[in-house]
Amino acid sequence: MEGLFEQARATPPEVPDALMARVLADAQAVQPTAPSSRWRDWLAVFGGLPALGGLVTATCVGFWIGLAPPAGLPDLGAAVFGVQSASDDGFESIAMTGFGWDIEEEL
Amino acid sequence: MTRHPTQFQAATDVADDTAAQADAEAALLRRYAQGDAAAARLLAARLTPRLFGHAVRVLGDHAEAEDVAQDAMMRLWKIAPNWREGEAKVSTWLYRVVANLCTDRLRKRGTTGLEDVDEPADPAPSAESSLQQAARADALQLALDSLPERQRQAVVLRHIDGLANPEIAAILEIGIEAVESLTARGKRALKQALDGQKDALGFSDDR
Repeated sequence: MEGLFEQARATPPEVPDALMARVLADAQAVQPTAPSSRWRDWLAVFGGLPALGGLVTATCVGFWIGLAPPAGLPDLGAAVFGVQSASDDGFESIAMTGFGWDIEEEL
Repeated sequence: MTRHPTQFQAATDVADDTAAQADAEAALLRRYAQGDAAAARLLAARLTPRLFGHAVRVLGDHAEAEDVAQDAMMRLWKIAPNWREGEAKVSTWLYRVVANLCTDRLRKRGTTGLEDVDEPADPAPSAESSLQQAARADALQLALDSLPERQRQAVVLRHIDGLANPEIAAILEIGIEAVESLTARGKRALKQALDGQKDALGFSDDR
């Protein structure tokens, strides 16, 4: 008789696909939804944490460019605070040279 | 993945195996209750085969076994948010649900299936091992079908599901001594039923 038991243990009946599908459908139907917090809802409006990271980065870079613009970009900060430089003797201040758009007059 | 402790596996290995399995299943159930869809798939894959297999053996009917398995799993899904960890094992709880559902169905049938023994399966005319195997498998189910329901459940839990007596006691909600008595009587009744079949079928090999 032990042989019969061993055989029964070795050949369990297979779960029919339809049964497994029904069990999974039941699971989905009564599953509690993931808990939502209001913070995460706001994040979702902006596109989630990854998007928020991009916004923060863009803000920082913009702030940085405003403080210390690379050559060629208008430096409003320097104009406002009157940064002294060798080439700046009043006549060539940014306002007098048209913010870099002045045109050499041809004689 | 079916795990059946064999007589060659050390008792401690079995205990470690089952403890780790129980923790994993409890963790999956918790994740299911928190909304994790993958947890549902993993739990269903791990648990449904055992329940279905047990129900097939106890009820002797695939269609009814499917209903019982689906019912039991549905109760698990529903209780998941209120599952208290550290009390029962998930599998023990499920087996208990299945056992109760099987008992209900067997009682509704109104008979312990004694008349099935009068209709033996076709005898295997040749000595082909596959035919013999099929006939032997039917023989076991036929014999099981002739048992009273409690003996049948105890024997299936012990010798086919491979569970230990303490767990069977928790599943059937009886004492361990009652389990031992049921399995002993069940095996005796099985042997009688199988011998009766052999006489009817004319098996010549010794079992």
